[in-house]
Amino acid sequence: MTDAELITRTRAGDPDAFGALVSRYYDACWRFAYHMLGERSDAEDVVQESFLRAYLAIGRYDERDQFRGWLFRILTNQCRNALTSRGRRTRRFVQDEVALETAAAPPSGLPLGVEDAALSRALAQLDPQQREALLLKYAEGLEYTEMSRMTGVGESALKMRVKRGVERLRAILGPIDD
Amino acid sequence: MTDRDVLPFPAPDQDDADIAARIAALYERTPATEARQADRCARAVLAQSMHQSSRSALGVSRTRWWWGAAAAAVLITATTRPWRGVVSTQEADSAVGRAIAAATLSGTVTPSDSAVRFDLTLPTSASAVAIVGDFNGWDQNATPMASRDGTWSANIPLTPGRHVYAFVVDGKRWIVDPLAPQVPDDGYGPANAVVIDGGPQ
Repeated sequence: MTDAELITRTRAGDPDAFGALVSRYYDACWRFAYHMLGERSDAEDVVQESFLRAYLAIGRYDERDQFRGWLFRILTNQCRNALTSRGRRTRRFVQDEVALETAAAPPSGLPLGVEDAALSRALAQLDPQQREALLLKYAEGLEYTEMSRMTGVGESALKMRVKRGVERLRAILGPIDD
Repeated sequence: MTDRDVLPFPAPDQDDADIAARIAALYERTPATEARQADRCARAVLAQSMHQSSRSALGVSRTRWWWGAAAAAVLITATTRPWRGVVSTQEADSAVGRAIAAATLSGTVTPSDSAVRFDLTLPTSASAVAIVGDFNGWDQNATPMASRDGTWSANIPLTPGRHVYAFVVDGKRWIVDPLAPQVPDDGYGPANAVVIDGGPQ
């Protein structure tokens, strides 16, 4: 069943249709929120809040938009709100890093290697705007046009954030062996 | 116009392939969540949407959250014996208050001492809504609710004491409050009814 069909059914009051939409996009949303916020529980909260807002606003959803893009627009806003309202996250990221590096074995379901842990740590040290731009560009694989529509930020500014973010990552990670 | 025309540095896409690949790999290796996590999220959203004024869905004006809570307090008072006032107040503040606030987004009590008015506002359209409970033998044909301005209502004479109820939408969808601590699961299926406890335990 297509997104459009599920949305139509959701609007008609079919809770199973909405459940199907959540199942379809939960993973993608959670992954983005997790890398933005750095904590599983925070990511779960933000994703749930995003789906709630999407559900309450689904009457205003424009079918000309891709549902995923519309949902991610809500999600990115919720991630920003979470980062703003919960203050600086640096200490929490450090705690995650310590947990990763001192664990006798990789945490269940989180098979990150040394390189991934280093990159994860470096991403966590970025300015949230740079991290958001890098994730949308290189993890989600979006074009700048889509990113601009999603975030409300101009394309030039987004390119600058990606550029600065990459520079910062290189500085944190050090030389990369090819 | 190309990126090079706009920016004073090379286009990021071309020179950042190594970083891009590492980010993509990190992202892809993030483990998938458990299926039940998405299911739990969907259930929570549907339950929360009742709390968050379902009228805001589909562009309808928003209901105040405290209106449901106020209705709950009145409802509890109406079904409680006067000498059990302390008990009813405590419950309205906690378990029962939350349950009713979730299930009834607006509501009032009729002037009669023994009749209680149940109101239910749905986020989506429905052709028929009934209230079922221990007071009508869980018969979904016994007490149909009347619709007016998007709100379904029914006046039901209740004796003081403990009552269990649920709403049935279009003959098949049961509306309950999954967040209510006092949700019985014996005899009525899992989590499909809300308890109003205004009387003896």
